[in-house]
Amino acid sequence: MTRFVKALAAIAVVFILFVACKGPVESTQLLINADDCTGCGECMEVCPYNAVEIIDGDAVIDPSLCHFCYRCVEQCPEGAIY
Amino acid sequence: MKTSIFLVLLLLPALAMAVSLDGWMDFQTGGDSLSPEMGRLDLGGLLKGGNWSLVIHERYSHEDSTGILPRILNSYSRTDVDFLIEAGPVRINPDVCWTVDLGDNKPEMVLPGQAGVAYREGFIRPGLSLEVDIAENYHLFARGLYWNRDLKQEDGYDLAWTESRVSGGLSCETPGLTLSMSGLWHKTNSDLIDYESTWSRFDIALSTKPQSLPANFYVTGDVTYSFYGGTNYLGDDLADRFTSRIRFVRMIVPSLAVNTTFESVIDYDGVIRSACNSVESRIVYRFMRSRDITSSVVLFGKLSRSSIRTERAGVFSRINLYRGLSLLLEAEARVTPTSVAGAGPNRKRYVFGPGLEYQFGTTARIWGMFEQERTNLEKNQNWWRVRAGLEFYPGSFSF
Repeated sequence: MTRFVKALAAIAVVFILFVACKGPVESTQLLINADDCTGCGECMEVCPYNAVEIIDGDAVIDPSLCHFCYRCVEQCPEGAIY
Repeated sequence: MKTSIFLVLLLLPALAMAVSLDGWMDFQTGGDSLSPEMGRLDLGGLLKGGNWSLVIHERYSHEDSTGILPRILNSYSRTDVDFLIEAGPVRINPDVCWTVDLGDNKPEMVLPGQAGVAYREGFIRPGLSLEVDIAENYHLFARGLYWNRDLKQEDGYDLAWTESRVSGGLSCETPGLTLSMSGLWHKTNSDLIDYESTWSRFDIALSTKPQSLPANFYVTGDVTYSFYGGTNYLGDDLADRFTSRIRFVRMIVPSLAVNTTFESVIDYDGVIRSACNSVESRIVYRFMRSRDITSSVVLFGKLSRSSIRTERAGVFSRINLYRGLSLLLEAEARVTPTSVAGAGPNRKRYVFGPGLEYQFGTTARIWGMFEQERTNLEKNQNWWRVRAGLEFYPGSFSF
């Protein structure tokens, strides 16, 4: 089991590094890192499209309303949106 | 009627047991050379019985904008009331959240479909969660949320804006591995502007946390494939998304720990494309551990590339001087996109500042920071900022 997990981790690292070196990078949705998000709600307040909501202490983006204005990215004090 | 009697009978034994009360307060205030008023007050309380708990969280927030930065333009209060009751393997969690706009300037919302602008005045959002442990390692969960938003057009007409969100799933946990499948459905509706949008997501996620690794070494990894249904604001189909993340935590010596996370996201909408790659690292060094307040230095850095570029690096230190008194020092550099007109695609900002903190055991903490910020917007701007806060935790009371 441990060997399997180690192998899985190694594959994941190689995969991520491989993908990281590939371009171009083009995102269809913004990403929120729930580990970094403190749920302060500043992203929700600055979003002019009502696309951000705080649910269970974490920011959540509605992909049908987000217009990629990036105000939440600029505002987030933790740098949790990218 | 029968349901009401059943609920009362269910709640009575729970309420008759001994309960404990916890409360907390967090107050932060500040001002800078751009905006004279910033403030936030959080008040919370937790009432806990044998198999139930009630959390009430109240927040008042006020921040002002000078027109230079697109900061918070609003003063509002937010109330969260969260009730949880456990009955054997079942957890029922009704909650309600509402916000009320308190300022004169209502925040604007750009309506979809070029329907103009509306003004936000608050919302009420009831919700209900249900969790069931159906077997030793199997866990079932469901959640429903409903928003009723006060959105008014300039002529005062209410948009009758509502949102519904239903989610649920099943997870299976073993000591080193968790598999979960979950679905989510979200509908947004406004009768006045005849707007309706529905999107959905189905996730298959696998996370691992190896149990037998070298001492003081932790690894967690997770992969998620999300099938999306629905469209974005342009009417294009939402792309499916594959997210992978791996985190390494290594305690090199008891006083030094390193935490690094790699993340990669791939979108698929007929074409496979690299959507986001990021790496984040944090080094924590603790020293003078024999004192009441342990001193620490935290070095952090983060780099992400998606359609946008974000970078962040900095240091935060707390040096204990005498008893509860500590010297704080922060320095941070960030690159983010900016929405400030004419400021270019990326905004670089540098923040530096010292501060002082005093901790009264675990009961209270008072702190103040004096910061200098430099940022390149239309031109290089410099401003200072003073921030201060008080956290208060009186402890737990049983009765």
